[in-house]
Amino acid sequence: MRVRPRFLIGTALIVAVIAYLIVSAVSSTSEYFLTVSEVNSRQAELAGQPLRIAGRVKSGPIGWDPATLTLSFEIVPIPDPTNAKDGAASADASIAKVSASEPLSYHVICAGQPKPDMFAVGRDVIVEGRLGKDGVITATQVMTSCPSKYRRKQAQ
Amino acid sequence: MADLGKLALAIALILAAYSIFANVYGARRNSPDFLASARHAIWAMCAMVTIAMAALWNGLLTSDFTLDYVASHSSTTLPTIYKITSLWGGQEGSLLFWSWLLTIFTSIAAFQNRRRNPEIAPYALAVMAVVAIFFLAMLNFVTRPFSPISPVPVEGADLNPLLQNYWMAIHPPSLYTGYVSSTAPFAFGAAALITGKLDDAWIRATRRWAIFSWFFLTLGNLFGARWAYEVLGWGGYWAWDPVENAAFMPWLVMTAYLHSVMIQERKDMLKVWNLALIGLAFALTIFGTFLTRSGVISSVHSFTQSGLGPYFLSFLIVVVIAYTALLIFRSGVLRSPAEIESYLSREAAFLFNNLVLVGIAFAVFWGTIFPVLSEAVRGVKITVGPPFFNKVNGPLALGLIFLMGVGPLIAWRRSTPANLARNFAIPLILGIATGAIVFLEGVRQWYALSGFSLAAFVAGTIIVEFARGIGARRHLAGETAARATANLIAKNNRRYGGYIIHVGVIVAFAGIIGSAFFKIDVKKSVRAGESFAVGPYSIHYLKLEESADAHIESAIAQVEVTRGDEEVALMTPGRVFYKRPQQPATKVAIRSTPLSDLYVVLAGFDEDTNTATFEVFLTPLVFWLWAGGLLMAIGTVIVMWPNVRERAAIAAALGRTAEDQIATEPAPGGQ
Repeated sequence: MRVRPRFLIGTALIVAVIAYLIVSAVSSTSEYFLTVSEVNSRQAELAGQPLRIAGRVKSGPIGWDPATLTLSFEIVPIPDPTNAKDGAASADASIAKVSASEPLSYHVICAGQPKPDMFAVGRDVIVEGRLGKDGVITATQVMTSCPSKYRRKQAQ
Repeated sequence: MADLGKLALAIALILAAYSIFANVYGARRNSPDFLASARHAIWAMCAMVTIAMAALWNGLLTSDFTLDYVASHSSTTLPTIYKITSLWGGQEGSLLFWSWLLTIFTSIAAFQNRRRNPEIAPYALAVMAVVAIFFLAMLNFVTRPFSPISPVPVEGADLNPLLQNYWMAIHPPSLYTGYVSSTAPFAFGAAALITGKLDDAWIRATRRWAIFSWFFLTLGNLFGARWAYEVLGWGGYWAWDPVENAAFMPWLVMTAYLHSVMIQERKDMLKVWNLALIGLAFALTIFGTFLTRSGVISSVHSFTQSGLGPYFLSFLIVVVIAYTALLIFRSGVLRSPAEIESYLSREAAFLFNNLVLVGIAFAVFWGTIFPVLSEAVRGVKITVGPPFFNKVNGPLALGLIFLMGVGPLIAWRRSTPANLARNFAIPLILGIATGAIVFLEGVRQWYALSGFSLAAFVAGTIIVEFARGIGARRHLAGETAARATANLIAKNNRRYGGYIIHVGVIVAFAGIIGSAFFKIDVKKSVRAGESFAVGPYSIHYLKLEESADAHIESAIAQVEVTRGDEEVALMTPGRVFYKRPQQPATKVAIRSTPLSDLYVVLAGFDEDTNTATFEVFLTPLVFWLWAGGLLMAIGTVIVMWPNVRERAAIAAALGRTAEDQIATEPAPGGQ
């Protein structure tokens, strides 16, 4: 294809507009996507920023108030799959293991959203929200990760 | 049966390898015997994979839990229809399904080209067989569908409840058909590059394939959106999840390709661009598979880590490097003599429409892989969510819709002011009038205003086109309006089918604007007997009914919807608990009307206090998204419909050239 120089100008203009849209949208909409352990190591600088945090629902009581649609629970780091060969089948056991060795957890409060379908102890979740100075995560949304369509429980 | 399936897959792999050799050797030596032998190998390969499919289906239908796949994705209580669909509900099965489609399409391409395109077809079939080898090798060595399990479980783990749904039964086959059939135009493009036969024979040979692929990509995306809407219970249909993006990107690039090949057929321009686009479309289908199977990108409903990532990535890299090298190697020959003359020309409109489509695809790609990029560059994972995609793609979509109105009506080469006035006066008036009406109705969002105006502008251009064509027929042939319309479409099915697709796109676009900007969302916990308001409706919670069978337990709320004093509907949103994977799911109640959808979710209930939590969405115009999708499908069928004149021309061309064995498809009339 040969294109006259002035078409290069038009082409460049369109490419520039697209590039500008991407760059400006990235800077205005990006969020840190962190694990619970990463949040812990950089807590000071993250306070007040929009975050997405991947963690696992800690065993123990889950607070759910249907009148105000308020969900409150603790999240803990997701154990490294290479260490936990038992996988999803015994999520509770691995949580117990993690909780014992590393008492790291954050309190999450999510108000105004229905409780997600798959929400349960031991489930991996992604929490969207902000980390307060008090170390409590005020979430706007809690999403449960699907426990994988494409991997079965490793029974053996 | 399982052993038979395993054996069949091994033989299929060998046959694929043999067919590559026979095709290439046959083409180089000009040996019809070897080419015939290659064809037979391809058909036998397809038969073998069919046997493997039958074996796995047999395992699923007879609940043969000695097979790991069956034990993991089915159960004795699973309804039969989902036993059948669970073949593509898991990793191994879906790759087998993919390979099956690929071998079917390769067989069809071999049959179609048994006399046509003798120079490029053998190489194209060889390229398709290379792709088949990759998938068959995966099935034979990496992710085996017939692996046994021990100990053999008494009951299977069942299919993921979210997949036990009508739309999920038809969404993956549609999407896979779209993905896999893009292999054919890609392979013919690659064959053109390999052989140096760079005229548009490869495009003509695969035009139907490309449209076929686009048709199923369109349906696949729509079915997926519909599934998300009906099943996931969040009131939306598109969340810019990596899995969705993976299906959307090939669709965008394929759309660009279908438009730019028209320029090559008409004007002999954009040759490199077309070859690059089809290569990109194919690479994106592999990339999409990589994305969804590798776990590189975390997705809320991803397919999670499966260890297949490195294989797909390696294959993708090999494909991209080899294809790019070929393109560079042939770039000298590909230079076209023609050039674009004016901004005010159809060529320019098509070029810019291509840039915008590829730009949207790039933005989607960038947003999807952004977490990986930021982690590599800055050491911290940063994600961009739906707001990013909406911010970037919103304005680009407006530009695209505008070009969609301009492209078909503007003159080739160079438009004169008179030409512009003649073609665009009515559409412009229509667009502005629509904007004014919507403004007076109280809409103030600039995006919605300009979106509706542009949609009306495009509708105007299409009305002008139809009116002219119908008018000419009535004038010349003295036909009635209805007869003239039917004849107009039948005689120029590619052109007018294309316009119907465009109408579908703007109708769907209007639905998207309505649902994106004017949705009402109310969350409320109420006791039985209480009610609450959503927009003009009052939602009255009557009672909860619980029931159970062997497969599921369900709790269904009865909700009476009234508007003023008038009873509108009795709706039954519920929650379903699947016993086998011990998993709850939402059963959404939707009342759909052309003006708006009332979407009621039972988000939870507490029997002790007799309280139920509802989330209700009132979504304007979302009906038109699906209606527009249906129109797009109808338009595409019209485009694909065999044209009588075209078929006669093919027959004539074949008769003419049968003796000297260089049969080619005739140059198409029309666009």
